[in-house]
Amino acid sequence: MSKDYIIEQLKKQIENFEAVATTEKVGTVVEVGDGVAKISGLSDAMASEMLEFPGGVYGVALNLEEGAVGAMILGKYEGIKEGDSVKSTGRILSVPVGDMMIGRVVNPLGEAIDGKGEITSDTYYPVEKVAPGVITRKSVSVPVQTGIKAIDAVIPVGRGQRELIIGDRQTGKTAVAIDAIINQKGEDLICVYVAIGQKESKVSRIVAELEKHGAMEHTIVVVAGASDPAALSFIAPYAGTAMAEYFMSKGKDVLIIHDDLSKHAWAYRQISLILRRPPGREAYPGDIFYLHSRLLERSARLNDDFGGGSITALPIIETQAGDVSAYIPTNVISITDGQIYLETDLFYKGIRPALNVGLSVSRVGSAAQTKAMKKVAGKLRLDLAQFRELEAFAQFGSDLDENTRRQIERGRRTVEILKQDQYEPMPMAQQVAVLYALTNGFIDDIDVEKVKAWENDFQKYMKSGGKAVLELIAEKKELSEEVVTVLEKAIKEFKEVYQNGK
Amino acid sequence: MKITATQYAKSLYEVTREKTQSEIDGFVANFFKVLKKNNQLKLAGKIMEKFSAIHDAKNGIVEATVTSASKLDEKSLKEVEKFVAKKYEAKKVILKNVVKKEIKGGIILQVGDEMMDASVIRKISDLKAVLIR
Repeated sequence: MSKDYIIEQLKKQIENFEAVATTEKVGTVVEVGDGVAKISGLSDAMASEMLEFPGGVYGVALNLEEGAVGAMILGKYEGIKEGDSVKSTGRILSVPVGDMMIGRVVNPLGEAIDGKGEITSDTYYPVEKVAPGVITRKSVSVPVQTGIKAIDAVIPVGRGQRELIIGDRQTGKTAVAIDAIINQKGEDLICVYVAIGQKESKVSRIVAELEKHGAMEHTIVVVAGASDPAALSFIAPYAGTAMAEYFMSKGKDVLIIHDDLSKHAWAYRQISLILRRPPGREAYPGDIFYLHSRLLERSARLNDDFGGGSITALPIIETQAGDVSAYIPTNVISITDGQIYLETDLFYKGIRPALNVGLSVSRVGSAAQTKAMKKVAGKLRLDLAQFRELEAFAQFGSDLDENTRRQIERGRRTVEILKQDQYEPMPMAQQVAVLYALTNGFIDDIDVEKVKAWENDFQKYMKSGGKAVLELIAEKKELSEEVVTVLEKAIKEFKEVYQNGK
Repeated sequence: MKITATQYAKSLYEVTREKTQSEIDGFVANFFKVLKKNNQLKLAGKIMEKFSAIHDAKNGIVEATVTSASKLDEKSLKEVEKFVAKKYEAKKVILKNVVKKEIKGGIILQVGDEMMDASVIRKISDLKAVLIR
């Protein structure tokens, strides 16, 4: 590129530049602090309208009072001072949406923060949108395969469901969500991961992990980091949902993860208190329930007349010392269609994912489970329930009758089989195969300590020698007599080879 | 319920409209009695502001501020006045000229919370934004 060419281009740009003086509504900053500004004037400002501060920083009108507007500032608020003039833009807060967002890391305003170039879109969706109505909806019928045995079998998630992941810090909540994203590789689900108030180091680790597993190809990451203002954390899940809604309106299925909504509630509490809204229980404002209900209600499954798209939400809540009866956890539990409950004790016992199968439920997911999985999961659930009841007796040792002992032994093996390493999601057919072997007593003669190794070898065998069986299960999606025969044959064959080899 | 300054000003305007001077004097005295009874004498300053705003609006009087880099001459001010009178359908325009060197040139016209920015500094910053992109 020559120098003259650049100058020529600049000249053209300057010639074409047209400055039009239009009438604008302006206000003056009366008070500013902690990311919130009070502005006098701006008589025609709308609720949640974008306002432009000097220096190109945007704000959102939240409190509309007589003669004054309370606004939160999205971005750096250090340069803003009392007396600055604020312009109204006439636009409701919206984010760019579209296919080019996939594979990108963006902030809640839809601006790229991954250094891969600017994102331009001509389609904008409002951040706040009313959820789909009753007429447009359909009940859950297609499963989301998370690739985690314990979840897919016992607490299945359907497309369009809201399933809460709840647990203390360091119990693997994010790991469950990330595994679910990784398992969608090559599937038709688009994933949106919304990080709210997370450490930037953690987010970059997650993005690197997703890239390593080739999962960024179907994922959008929306980040409001711990160092970003609370206003950005507050709008992040809504912005993520807006991006997901674009795909839903195109008839596609989307999985959105809100990590985590406790920090979202904290961010909103901060903004509300600074705006002098009256505090309620735990100092949260009065509309904290509506804050989460209007967000999660936007995750839905539309019926075929409306395109048949869906948004599945996996919100995450971090509890303090296992207290699920705190304000935010109870709120979100009551909004969602079930919860996946992770426990510290189980985590340290080595049961990972540290799923408490007793407290975890999926209220609608079983309608979406494949027939094959339903068949093995029914027995599995029964085995686990009986095991939990008898577990206390197990410690007394020997003087138990044969039946009880057998149930305890089966339970121990079930727990062992449900353990699964991180970043190793498993396809549905493989899950069905191993759970079938478990629930039909094919593993009862293996030592508990060796079950894990047995399973690994079994999976290896099924992937090579039993490939035809897996394909048959994946295709039929039910355990018909024909499938059962070949599956049992494969298991028996493997056991013979395995036991003779050792 | 708390009564705001605007509501006081509005009612005072309604009461005093098209009344003789002596009547108005009586009303104003009563008005202050009411204010005192409601313990809201501290609002008096605000009410005065609002009252004049309401009075101006009802009688077609518009207050406008023109900001320019150097003091505007009589002719330009007349033109601005004419423009404002036409745009806001005002019978009378009270024009105030503020001199601000920073805007380099052109004018900024502000009426209430509406602003028309035709200053050179604004054009420069707009051009900057275009060129950066």
